[in-house]
Amino acid sequence: MNQGSVTEVAAVADARRATRARPGTPSRRTGAELLARLAVRLVVPGALVALWWWASTLPDLQLYVVSPPTAIDRFINDFLSSDPSRLFLGDAAHEDMLPSVRRALAGLAVAVVVGVVVGTALGISRLLSAMAQPLIHLGRSLPSPALLGVFFFVFGTGDEPKVLLIAFSIVWPILFNTVDGVRSIGEVRSQAAQVFRIPDRDVLFRIILPGASPKILAGIRTSLSLSLILMIISELQKSENGLGYRLVQSQRIFDYGGFWAVLVMLVVLGLVFNIAFTIVERRLLAWHRGATQQND
Amino acid sequence: MTEHVLGSEVPELQLTGVSRRYGDNLAVRSIDAAIPAHKISVIVGPSGCGKSTLLRMISGLDTPTDGEVRFEGAPVRGVPEGLAMVFQDYSRSLYPWMRVDKNVAFPIRRLPAAERAERVRFAIEEVGLKGKESLYPWQMSGGMQQRVAIARALASHPRLLLMDEPFASVDAQTRADLEDLVMRIQAELGITVLVVTHDIDESVYLADRIFVLSTPPSVVAEVIDVDLPRPRDHVSTKTEPEFVRIRGHVTSLLRRPDADAEGAHGSLVASTAAGEIA
Repeated sequence: MNQGSVTEVAAVADARRATRARPGTPSRRTGAELLARLAVRLVVPGALVALWWWASTLPDLQLYVVSPPTAIDRFINDFLSSDPSRLFLGDAAHEDMLPSVRRALAGLAVAVVVGVVVGTALGISRLLSAMAQPLIHLGRSLPSPALLGVFFFVFGTGDEPKVLLIAFSIVWPILFNTVDGVRSIGEVRSQAAQVFRIPDRDVLFRIILPGASPKILAGIRTSLSLSLILMIISELQKSENGLGYRLVQSQRIFDYGGFWAVLVMLVVLGLVFNIAFTIVERRLLAWHRGATQQND
Repeated sequence: MTEHVLGSEVPELQLTGVSRRYGDNLAVRSIDAAIPAHKISVIVGPSGCGKSTLLRMISGLDTPTDGEVRFEGAPVRGVPEGLAMVFQDYSRSLYPWMRVDKNVAFPIRRLPAAERAERVRFAIEEVGLKGKESLYPWQMSGGMQQRVAIARALASHPRLLLMDEPFASVDAQTRADLEDLVMRIQAELGITVLVVTHDIDESVYLADRIFVLSTPPSVVAEVIDVDLPRPRDHVSTKTEPEFVRIRGHVTSLLRRPDADAEGAHGSLVASTAAGEIA
């Protein structure tokens, strides 16, 4: 960027500022381009739905695989309602989906707090990091669903073992990314902070955490998808509600329509989680998207 | 080697026998230097001669293994108050998640809001970035980013401004502009400026006093006072016989084979007519 003329860069900068809020957003696209992009994105999902539909007509699978319209019909029946006072959610949503989401989010919250706090400490202190290294690699490489029994044993059969299993399983990407992010702040930025005699508190909250935030959020994104998986796994045993419980129950009574409706619900949940996360990330990391597009 | 005697002015910064050893490796050896107050001093030397090590010790980021650094009469232990620094690598010393005004205000966050706003406004105007307050650093050219770094240093009202190869990462035209900017600001505010560079032209153009370092383990090979009239400019100053003479002299000092233990002078930058001797 050095050799580019100053006025040119300034002009680009001004133009960007005019669009405000989101630096780095590409300029407006035409409707046709937008449609074409959408079409490209729908090819693979479309093919998968077609495959599903086809499978539902096969004599061997018919019993277990319901057709997409049936599944969606059941989904609407079970999980949605027309009652605004129930937030337009059906019985299955209130009884099973919301408790599941609560557990996943509680697990995620615990994982974020523990991952960021411990990760920051380990990122700052080489000594702590060296001391914790073996334990962390042990924890990371344990197949955590195998520990479900241990969690039940230690924490009883309520929500706690489930939330803690989710947290324990998904904390690692956040932890490792935080360590990495904190270390990537760079010698010069820390030196600048030292020269300007910035108090430790400001160094932590205004330099280290913002500087590490792109990596931390990348870790949280991975953990978010994992949290849904672990949510289901934690509810397969010793559960009284939840989507995992519903999956097992519907199979036990050969209610495959109900089973597929839960799968549809999971897809919708995954999408909602992802969209929500993307919105948060865009707000927090507007500077980073722009910075990486410009310089690297 | 000439032992330089100061004028009447008390030195802002006094280095006495400063050495820094890393293991068996002696980076700088017994440096004596008196940096005069309210002037621009330049430390010039070949790459890897310990200039940055020296600057780190002056700023209190590092401590000498021998000798002492005194700032305004008091020995330097830790970063002293009244000192600010501009780093070579603006893209890594600025904070990309803060807009320009926040970057400039950051070192003085603890001041009352009104005073902080006033200082930021002044510093940004001083470096010619009025109207760019709400840009992010990465939306600007390298030269403009380095201006932000200078503004950030000025906002803390330093009495001593240290600059570590401040213009090594920008193009020649921008570099010339920034050199003039620093001289104008120094003249206006009367602060003491200490620049470290490997560029001989730049050292002569900026300096009231030049400290020429030898190759490592570095010592001060010579102290040269530059009496070229101010204000200086890139055309007339650089064609003055005195400028040409001093530049030639510094060049010859840095190229002198006997001052050079390992022949590491290849990295030396002399922008024009390097071998010229007056």
